[in-house]
Amino acid sequence: MKENILIIGGGAAGMEAATQLHKMGLNPIIVEKSEALGGHIAQWDRLFPAFHPAKDVVEKMLDQVKGIDVRLNTEVVDIHRDNNSFHAILSNNETIDAKAVILATGFDIFKAERKQEYGYGIYNNVMTSVELEKYFRTGKDERINHPKKIGFVHCVGARDVKVCNTYCSKVCCTTALKQACEIKEVFPDAEVYTFYMDLRMFGPGYEDLYLKTQKDFDVKCVRGRVCEVSEDMDGKLVIKAEDTLFGKPLKMTLDLLVLMCSMEKNKSIDAIQQKLGVGNNSDGFMQNKDMYLGMNDTAQDGVFVAGACTAPKSLPDTIGEARSVATQVYNYLKR
Amino acid sequence: MNSQIFHPFVLPFVLGMAFVLTYCVVGLLRVIGQLPKDDRKKFWRSLVTPKTAWANVRDLVGDCLFHVKIWKRNPVLGYMHTAIAFGWFMIIVIGHVMLFTLKPLEGIELQGVERTLPNFYYPIFFKYFAEETLIFAILMDFFLLMIISGILIAVVKKIHSKIVGVKRIMHFGFADNLIRFALWTIFPFRLIAEKTNIMAFWWLYSIDLMVFMFMLPFTRYMHIPTEALFILLRHAGLKPREPRKGYALAQIYSCPSCGLCIDACPMSVNDKNSGNTSAYFMKRLRNGDREEAQRIAETCMQCGKCVAVCPVSIESCDIKMSQREAVPYTINSDHSYLGNVEPETKGNAKVLYFAGCMTQLTPKIMRAMKQIMEAAGEKYAFLDKDGGVCCGRPMLLSGKTAEAQAMMAKNTELIKQSGAKRLVLSCPICYKVFKEEYQLEGIEILHHTQYIDELIKRGKLKVDKNDVNYVYHDPCELGRAFGVYDEPREVIENIGHLRKAKSEKELSTCCGGSLGSFILTQQERDEITTNSVNDLIFNNPDEIVTACPLCLKTFARKSPVAVKDIAEVVANQLK
Repeated sequence: MKENILIIGGGAAGMEAATQLHKMGLNPIIVEKSEALGGHIAQWDRLFPAFHPAKDVVEKMLDQVKGIDVRLNTEVVDIHRDNNSFHAILSNNETIDAKAVILATGFDIFKAERKQEYGYGIYNNVMTSVELEKYFRTGKDERINHPKKIGFVHCVGARDVKVCNTYCSKVCCTTALKQACEIKEVFPDAEVYTFYMDLRMFGPGYEDLYLKTQKDFDVKCVRGRVCEVSEDMDGKLVIKAEDTLFGKPLKMTLDLLVLMCSMEKNKSIDAIQQKLGVGNNSDGFMQNKDMYLGMNDTAQDGVFVAGACTAPKSLPDTIGEARSVATQVYNYLKR
Repeated sequence: MNSQIFHPFVLPFVLGMAFVLTYCVVGLLRVIGQLPKDDRKKFWRSLVTPKTAWANVRDLVGDCLFHVKIWKRNPVLGYMHTAIAFGWFMIIVIGHVMLFTLKPLEGIELQGVERTLPNFYYPIFFKYFAEETLIFAILMDFFLLMIISGILIAVVKKIHSKIVGVKRIMHFGFADNLIRFALWTIFPFRLIAEKTNIMAFWWLYSIDLMVFMFMLPFTRYMHIPTEALFILLRHAGLKPREPRKGYALAQIYSCPSCGLCIDACPMSVNDKNSGNTSAYFMKRLRNGDREEAQRIAETCMQCGKCVAVCPVSIESCDIKMSQREAVPYTINSDHSYLGNVEPETKGNAKVLYFAGCMTQLTPKIMRAMKQIMEAAGEKYAFLDKDGGVCCGRPMLLSGKTAEAQAMMAKNTELIKQSGAKRLVLSCPICYKVFKEEYQLEGIEILHHTQYIDELIKRGKLKVDKNDVNYVYHDPCELGRAFGVYDEPREVIENIGHLRKAKSEKELSTCCGGSLGSFILTQQERDEITTNSVNDLIFNNPDEIVTACPLCLKTFARKSPVAVKDIAEVVANQLK
């Protein structure tokens, strides 16, 4: 049995699913639109909760996919189904026949410009969590110039009915605390504040990270949302927020503001997803069959989903799903 | 010809007529009695003031007789209504004219009661009692057929309203359906009775008239007598003070439940919400269903489009506001901070800029306004750079007048202290309250669209024209409320090309973000926004331009093309 499995997306989910399917003796083919495998995680510096270098994980995954068919800089431009097989036309004009399709298309980062009140793209010293991570990786960012006072805003584009995203983006809480510690490591005398609605420390070691953030790194966690940001005469940021524990509004001048942007559905796959007959759930992510036993299945036989294309997910969640989708595909082909 | 002066079949009609006349007189006294004293004085005065008296005559003829506003909105409906109402009016008039031309009946000496009695029903049953001259007979038949042609359109409208260009029609209860059935059959019965002289049809005709008149006060057809009174009250310049008394009561009974506002209402994109439109609100109030009326009043976004399309000019938004005010406020708000607000302005500013809460949340507009005022060399100051006080409109919209007054007093104090003679606002929500509620004598209040337009026209602001195609969205509280339609369009013509939206100016659709509604869910609002965006991008513009920070934020969520404030677009094109 050496059947083709088309995997759309070469991030953590796509790579891990391919690895497992390859081990099962199937022939996974990864189609990745960018120039390299690794997805968002390859852009990351360190991972929560233990500050583990992301590079380690990515390199191990890349090592495992050696020998697997990969098409980089390639997109699926058309796909149709013929009984039990799929015919995909790629942007390099190649045609792939596959017995099953795995959608591992992941997520997009919420565009911070959409929350204009936070001033991203308007004021100089507002940046996103993704850009801060890049700074940790490269040590370079014009906006970071020995800041004395730094703020993190949680839930930017998440749990916010005003941007049409009512869901929790799951990983930003822990990421914010991780990044707060890291920036404190770089600038030990800076004051660091995080503004949160709830801190959702849902995984092993996460709660410990929260304690460590406060005890060892002296980060001040303020329960309340930032409502607006403006700039004063010296180009410093003036934020208005509410401390809901004290029930008081507060105003603060900052040198740097980091926006914890949420995950949104990756819309570049919409056309193909529609051709495959896979719908979206109320959060705008892909709809899987059910959230318990059918989390990798879709309404269409032979079309599977894995990773953050169905909801915001952490890296361990994604890897778990990638492994389970491999089993589902294997069982599907054997039936 | 039946040479007699009485037949029992006229009795149902006479009874009905007596009832309806009594009801109308009592109702008239009640409405006038419920008016507050100063309103009543205003009303009497308006009747003898030449300007309002002329407006009264013009509208009584134009609206009550010829239904000009319906013609303008939808010619088919205009014909339908005119055919029935004007046709009916004409056969009554001609009936009376014929009464005067009637020669004394042959061989019968009429005396006393016998002489006056026929006046009450002869014009209605003329053909039974007397002979018409040819010219009158032709006229009568013409108008009767005209009425029946109108009724045929009404029947078509009821069965398949889309043929006459109406998507959604009102759904009525038993009483309204019964009286409508009576109305539709009156004239065919009359025609048959006149042509065949079968007694049963004269009876049916008379009974139909009775049913119609006995039910009239309790159904939508009460608009026939009430609209005349409403026109007089409206021209007196009154405002509804209580949702179901006096002036508001006259409006409630003037609503014909035609349902033209249902299609116009932005909420109707969701069929479920078409029951929350003004026509239903007025119906609930008429039926005394306060709870439902309150719910609809709180659902309404106060965009004013129903008022713009209403053929009777019912001020439903004002009535909804008075309904909101009727509910007591149970939360004690703390406005002690107002005492600590210090003026931030320095004495020499000529122009005072008030951004307002919504513009604080869209800093691009503030930045653009700053650039524009700098480029024009204006001496300006920001009134609320570092916080400031709310304009008071959200509180007013919730019907909490006293709370709003506290904020408005503080702002008035700050503005007067600044010494500036012009106040520029970026937010139409603020603009409305500053224009209507604030007492700022000697200070000119401008929205930034008007201000920028003026700066360009006076040559103080030099802009470049680019090749971008813009479509302009009229914010409800700038357009419909104050008729600011031309200034923003002229500004856009200066910096690029203006494309038309599917519906614009007074028919512009609310963005869906309105502060007006307390009840609409985000999902319902999103549907309204998507619909409104589709209206705007009808002619494939490159960018949507609006002049309200709330519209801007709302559209940005759903628009496939860029959405910008007019100030931003102008700031980008400064020379």
